[in-house]
Amino acid sequence: MPDFSFEAIGTAWTVSTAAPLTVQERAALAEAVESYDRTYSRFRQDSAIAPLAAAPGTVDLPVTAAPLLSLFDTLHRLSGGAVNPLVGSSLEKLGYDAAYSFASAGPSPAPDWAASASWQALGDRTVLNTSVPVTFDIGAAGKGQLVDLVFELLHASGHRELTVDAGSDLRHSGPRPLRVALEHPYDTTRAVGVLPLHNRALCASASNRRQWGDGLHHIVDAGTGRPVETVAAAWVLADDAMTADGLATALFFTDPGTLAEEFAFDYVRMFSDGRATFSDAMAGVLFS
Amino acid sequence: MTPTRKTLLFAAASMTLASTACAGTANDGASAAEESPAAESPVRTGSYGDGTYSAAGSYIPPSNQTEEVDVTLTLEGNVVTSLDVQTSGNNPTSKQYQREFTSGIESQVVGKKLDELNVDKVAGSSLTSSGFNKALDAIRMEAAS
Repeated sequence: MPDFSFEAIGTAWTVSTAAPLTVQERAALAEAVESYDRTYSRFRQDSAIAPLAAAPGTVDLPVTAAPLLSLFDTLHRLSGGAVNPLVGSSLEKLGYDAAYSFASAGPSPAPDWAASASWQALGDRTVLNTSVPVTFDIGAAGKGQLVDLVFELLHASGHRELTVDAGSDLRHSGPRPLRVALEHPYDTTRAVGVLPLHNRALCASASNRRQWGDGLHHIVDAGTGRPVETVAAAWVLADDAMTADGLATALFFTDPGTLAEEFAFDYVRMFSDGRATFSDAMAGVLFS
Repeated sequence: MTPTRKTLLFAAASMTLASTACAGTANDGASAAEESPAAESPVRTGSYGDGTYSAAGSYIPPSNQTEEVDVTLTLEGNVVTSLDVQTSGNNPTSKQYQREFTSGIESQVVGKKLDELNVDKVAGSSLTSSGFNKALDAIRMEAAS
């Protein structure tokens, strides 16, 4: 299958289709990605959410923000506040800021999502209100949603054999399942298992790559402002990538059973001591 | 048979409590049906009376907050028919491990070389942006100079 590769929102993307993408499709895809970055990036001064860091206020977000913020509402509730799109300030305090200073000022809890922000779907936009200065970081589910947006754009234009790969987030459609290796969180030359991905999304979350100091990585409990220590990696299969991405992050803080009360998904969760737990359907996926 | 209730006390150093409880020596001598396991055998054998057994254990994790673990199991015909593990979970980390211990399917991870696997894709942590990596490189160089 022809591949179309590019770099966006801080990661490498590969789109594989049975028929090559047209110039128009590539342009539409580039616009979708650029528009997403322009809306949510905390690394850009001109993003839609940037003014909220300086002062509370109201911003207009695209209509697609509603399902994303709704997912965050649910994950925030189920994780007891650990998953929170306002975790940007905690990451900044730990040194993962827009200037990449990597100078940690210590853990700092993020403002409470439910108390500090509210949103409403209004026609073709989503209106977001904040009551304190906040720094958005939608990393928990945002990349997954962008995978979905790219996938849906190409699906709508007729592509049926299609894989969108954004590094740790994958969405697949087509007659042949993909064989996907689950990368070992402590050794990127190894895998801990292989699973078939067929007409679903698979998202991985691991704490190994974005590290900038002893115990400092990008998966931060917004309730405490501290990086998570016990879970080393989580993989989630779900119908869409946004949900799979959000759940993969939530599994760092939340019992799978709690999440299963409101979401349909399969998972593998690996701990820093080398143990792993997984849902029934994932039996046989891990090497033994 | 009326289940009898016996208490075993042991100190545990790790979270392998349930297996310790299942295979542990019944040292209260309350039932003639219990036989001491063969000492030389690594696999404990012997028969235990039907009934409900409970045991309390404690251990000290790195957090230095003592954690209590209560294990209750029911034996019928030398088979464990029910197992209940109650944990104190004083420390959030302990709580998470204990929860994993008491639920879900668990295995020990085994890694295989990626280049020996025939796969289409690899799912792991995302490759990071050039911005992130360049900034880290710059800091490393600064630190080294």
